[in-house]
Amino acid sequence: MKVIDWLLRDAPLATRREITPKLGFVLTILLALIWLIPFLWMGVATLRPASDGINLMAELMPSVKPTLDNIRDAWEIGDFPRYTLNTTIICTGILLVQFVTITLAGFAFARLSFAGKTLIFYLFLMQLMLVPVLLIVPNLSLVAQLGLYDTLTGVMMPFFASAFGTFLMRQAFEAIPTELEDAALIDGAGLFQCIRHIYVPLSMPSFSAFAIISVTSHWNDFLWPLMVINSPDKRPLTVGLSVFTATAEGTQAWGTIAAGTLMVIAPLLVTFLIFQKRFISSFVTSGIK
Amino acid sequence: MLFSRRLMLGLAMAGTLAGALAFPAIAGEGTTEIDLFFPVPVDGKLARDMGTLIKEFNETHPGVKATAVYTGSYDDTLIKTRAAIKAGKPPAAVIMSANFLLDMQIENELTNLDSLIKADGTTKEQFLGQFFPALQGNAVIDRSVYGVPFHNSTPLLYINADKAKEVGLDPSKPPQTWAELTDWAKKLTKREGDKVTQWGIAIPCAYDYCGWMMETLTMSNGGRYYNEEFGGEVYYDTPSMLGALTWWNDLIFKHKVHAPGATPGPAVSTSFISGNAAMMMLSTGSLTYVRDNAKFNYKVAFIPRNVRNAVPIGGASLIVPAGLEADKQKAAWTLIKWMTSPEKSGWWSRATGYFAPNKAAYKTPEMLEFLNKNPDAKTAVEQLDVAKPWFATYKTVPVRKNLEDEVMLVLNGKKQPKEALAAAQKAADETLKPYNAETSLKLP
Repeated sequence: MKVIDWLLRDAPLATRREITPKLGFVLTILLALIWLIPFLWMGVATLRPASDGINLMAELMPSVKPTLDNIRDAWEIGDFPRYTLNTTIICTGILLVQFVTITLAGFAFARLSFAGKTLIFYLFLMQLMLVPVLLIVPNLSLVAQLGLYDTLTGVMMPFFASAFGTFLMRQAFEAIPTELEDAALIDGAGLFQCIRHIYVPLSMPSFSAFAIISVTSHWNDFLWPLMVINSPDKRPLTVGLSVFTATAEGTQAWGTIAAGTLMVIAPLLVTFLIFQKRFISSFVTSGIK
Repeated sequence: MLFSRRLMLGLAMAGTLAGALAFPAIAGEGTTEIDLFFPVPVDGKLARDMGTLIKEFNETHPGVKATAVYTGSYDDTLIKTRAAIKAGKPPAAVIMSANFLLDMQIENELTNLDSLIKADGTTKEQFLGQFFPALQGNAVIDRSVYGVPFHNSTPLLYINADKAKEVGLDPSKPPQTWAELTDWAKKLTKREGDKVTQWGIAIPCAYDYCGWMMETLTMSNGGRYYNEEFGGEVYYDTPSMLGALTWWNDLIFKHKVHAPGATPGPAVSTSFISGNAAMMMLSTGSLTYVRDNAKFNYKVAFIPRNVRNAVPIGGASLIVPAGLEADKQKAAWTLIKWMTSPEKSGWWSRATGYFAPNKAAYKTPEMLEFLNKNPDAKTAVEQLDVAKPWFATYKTVPVRKNLEDEVMLVLNGKKQPKEALAAAQKAADETLKPYNAETSLKLP
């Protein structure tokens, strides 16, 4: 019980004696453990020597003789620094352009009035219903016509505008009291100054929430970059990693796969750990602006 | 602030710079730049071997600069090739799953290779005569050559010889019929109470593999799977396929000698290597992996028969997409001929476990020495005498998935074979409908 008391040291006094919050707490711990198992296995499998054989591959107990061979293998098979750079360029490039487009589009839908606004907004939202695979061929044709086939810009292009992001920013801007804008207008601010000094700073949580969603989804995108990129030196991480995971015949060197996967997710994981507090708070914001 | 202004500006600069740097490479004077799309159907280290092979080609052919472009699985490679053709950026050559050729030819996505063969001063018969006859069915469409076999396979029965001996079976006389195989699997299954500690047999079922295994079992049962002469018909709801699927279903639920559920290929080879399964049916493409990793004596044998000995071929052919400039087409043809030569295809065969489609590869000294050391590599080649083409129809992949989805339900115990095959047939007929409307049902 001492442990539980210590764990609950921050809980409000009123709930110390209640059972429900404790149950929730235990459940959260359980879920976290379940979520951790694949990560643990990945770490263990990465350090397992090949001499342990396939039988021990599924074990969660670390090997007695850990080795860095798998990491070296994966590092040699794939040009990971280059892949990571490419993926980073793709994700940040997309995100930066998206910030501009979703801010302006979101503002237009939230605050401006123009003919057919609702209809256009709904048409915009219909993008969310489309399966990305449907658009591969038309998008690729367009990218090729623009001379962007086999370029990183070509990979980013289709994602510069985001229906989801526009919707998110519209909701965020609508929640901001118009009085703030009116005050700024009376002080002689222009439209863009209003956006820059009132709307954007007050919607930061929505921006960071969108940034997380955008970066994680494009970080993990496989099929579209596979379609656009031919040159080995322009491969993003996902395509680079699949070289030794997508085998139809023969089988897989699990240790190498684990090592490669670890390298792919490490940057995301580190970023998450650094910004953890901010990430959590961006999803749980109070309604008061 | 998570994103300070300065950071944002810095990132924006970096983004534009990177965008500016990412321009397509410009070819040097007088060299033809070509792309070769290749999937990695085997161990990932082979991606590096392919790089080595292409590098050697570039060093020996100064007029051509080929780039090996890795394109995922067989199915992904088809998607990428098609998208590239439609976008007006066709690759010069592709290592394409042998059973996609008909589908691509129907869609006018392939270059007819007859004129290229003729320009070399060889006849079609001479050209095709280099390859094993079983491979020609998937490379020749309407008497024209559309693909050059590159690495091919047949399914094999792998047996853990040590475990067979343990239970008093003779691995030098492997099972020849389904009855014998069922008996072997029963003897090789170990149980502790209700729990199975060692499965008698493992057969893979995941997209792509599953259809191939169904064709294997159906052919062994006297069936055809599809109409070899016409791309608009498959025979799913037939006695021969029903027998095949029922037997597979019985191995799981009646005899309990095969693990329930649909197991992907890599999991099957893993469980064979770890001794968790005493026998498996798998492609000869896995042979190198088994040879390098098995810590026991193993034996490879023909796929047992119920009605007749017959198996489909597998593997891939080199194709030239439609819509290429003449110089690229010529360069691609040079590359293809070089890659399918006896020496190179022999080298690739020894590296992978696939057999070399070029008959002359088996006369090279390196290959003779290799076969002396590894007699198991002969089995797949010997089995070619009873091999038939791989199913190829209009929309091969969706038609294949119509069957695979139902087979997976059966193996998971959610459906009975009879109703599953009826549903698969209905779905496949629907998928094939547009083609039949343009061909067999287009009446004067």
